[in-house]
Amino acid sequence: MAGSKTWKVGLLYVLAFAVLFVMVFPYLYMVLGSLAPWNEVDRKLIPSSLTLRSYEWLFQGGEDVVPRPWLRAFFNSLLVTSASTLLMLVTAVMVGYALSKVKFKGRQWVNNAILFQMFYPSIILLIPLFLIVRYFGWYNTYWAMILPKAVNLWAIFMYTNFFRSIPDELIEAAKMDGAGHFTIIRRIVWPMSRSITTIIFLFLFMERWVELLWDMLVVNNEKMLTLNVLLAQMFGPYGGYPGPMYAASVLLTLPILILFLLFSKNFKEGMQFILK
Amino acid sequence: MNKHAAKVGWLLASPYLIYSAIFFLIPLFWALYLAFTNWNLISPEYETVGMQNFLDAFFSPSVRAAFWVTYKFMLMFVPIVIAGSLFLALIIHHLPRWKGLFAVGYFLPYLASGVASSIVVKGVISYNSPLNQFLRDALGWDIDWLGSPILAPLVIALMMAWKFVGYYALLFLSGLESIPKEVYEAAEIDGAVGWKRVWHVTIPMLYPSFYTVTILAVGLMFGIFTEPYVLTGGGPEYATHTWQLEIYNQAFEKLNAGYGTAVAIINSIVTFASIFVFRKVLEKWGGKHGWE
Repeated sequence: MAGSKTWKVGLLYVLAFAVLFVMVFPYLYMVLGSLAPWNEVDRKLIPSSLTLRSYEWLFQGGEDVVPRPWLRAFFNSLLVTSASTLLMLVTAVMVGYALSKVKFKGRQWVNNAILFQMFYPSIILLIPLFLIVRYFGWYNTYWAMILPKAVNLWAIFMYTNFFRSIPDELIEAAKMDGAGHFTIIRRIVWPMSRSITTIIFLFLFMERWVELLWDMLVVNNEKMLTLNVLLAQMFGPYGGYPGPMYAASVLLTLPILILFLLFSKNFKEGMQFILK
Repeated sequence: MNKHAAKVGWLLASPYLIYSAIFFLIPLFWALYLAFTNWNLISPEYETVGMQNFLDAFFSPSVRAAFWVTYKFMLMFVPIVIAGSLFLALIIHHLPRWKGLFAVGYFLPYLASGVASSIVVKGVISYNSPLNQFLRDALGWDIDWLGSPILAPLVIALMMAWKFVGYYALLFLSGLESIPKEVYEAAEIDGAVGWKRVWHVTIPMLYPSFYTVTILAVGLMFGIFTEPYVLTGGGPEYATHTWQLEIYNQAFEKLNAGYGTAVAIINSIVTFASIFVFRKVLEKWGGKHGWE
């Protein structure tokens, strides 16, 4: 009986690792493709030797191919994503606190407006949003990529729900001690929400990082493109250079993977709060 | 005191209010107006054309393609992603150790940019790739993956399933963890063990998770853009031509801003109606089996 149990658990682990392999296989394929000799890219699963030629080519260009501003694009992505994510977090904490811990007339009304907006199909807004950004003179600027993505309804919703679970007595006690709302947010509410902030931050960051359609619409100056957009634009022209394309994909994917693995300590528990 | 609270409340909520006024309300009304014009994004002159855009869209082959392609994607993606994520959740749930570790590992595909995964897929199915070499040499199959109107959407559906299974598995996992032990004990007395137990006890108890995952997966199908934009351009013959691709093409490639907006409105109505029908069907099924 005990023997059959161990046998079953062993099989389960084999299965678990097999699935894990399938899930990370495309990442492995990408990394190996970026390091393989050019005549083996997409022809051999395991390259016979490793080389940095694809990365060198990516940044320096080759024969009659002018290099694209990949590093600049990487920097653009980092700037736009960080700024946008930070704004989304700060505004979500502010609004979430107001909607859960400050009793004011109109609170329910704002709550309903947010819920309505969350379920409103954003695709209808795409074209007029583009026109507004152009009207403000933000076309080809970082503002176009940051400000229309400075507030996130889902994040507000998450913080509102989380702050509701913080006992009111705690806030009242702090008020008794003379603390204002901003002090309460900074000293009590913000430190208490560290675990959920990590998860919300990760989601906002990675979704912003891989945005394609919007960033593609509001920028056409090559120097302002995000890495994801530049990569999408080179998909056709660099079709004959798969090695460098894998190198650029690694450049796009690695930061987000590292960030995620760094912050994923209590991922499963944090996610289960988010998904409730 | 109350006045003070009102001040602070509105002050803290102001980022949302300002943002929504500029980036939600104005575009909302603008869209409703644009959809009835023939504006081309550039010229200063344009006129209102009544229902013309909506009529044109109704008879347009590319809009009709987008309409049907979405359901084709659904037919492929939804069963694959549901079966896959349930399978992953069952694995994680039954592991005695390292649950969190595997949950993280299975979630990794969600981090991938659709552009980067399109590059990988393009390589994996390229003519001389190890996969195609194997299929040719071992089985004699010479497959033009992206040239086939069935395989091209299937490739994209599989890519998206790869990306989302780990995410949806977490939803099933919290469903699994919320099933009380007593239910299993009672089932055991009735003789339900092993796969029988999974089929007759676990899966029916997971109805709320099925409901959520199905609605999420269905909703996702109305917003596909990156993968077909990069990988197939909507082809072959509109086989992967999605709503978002159609709206993007009309508004920003052909510069029909008014018409594009009308298509976006139609897309939203179709999305709402489809999700509504799915919810009703699922709720009816759930109601019959003791869920409300």
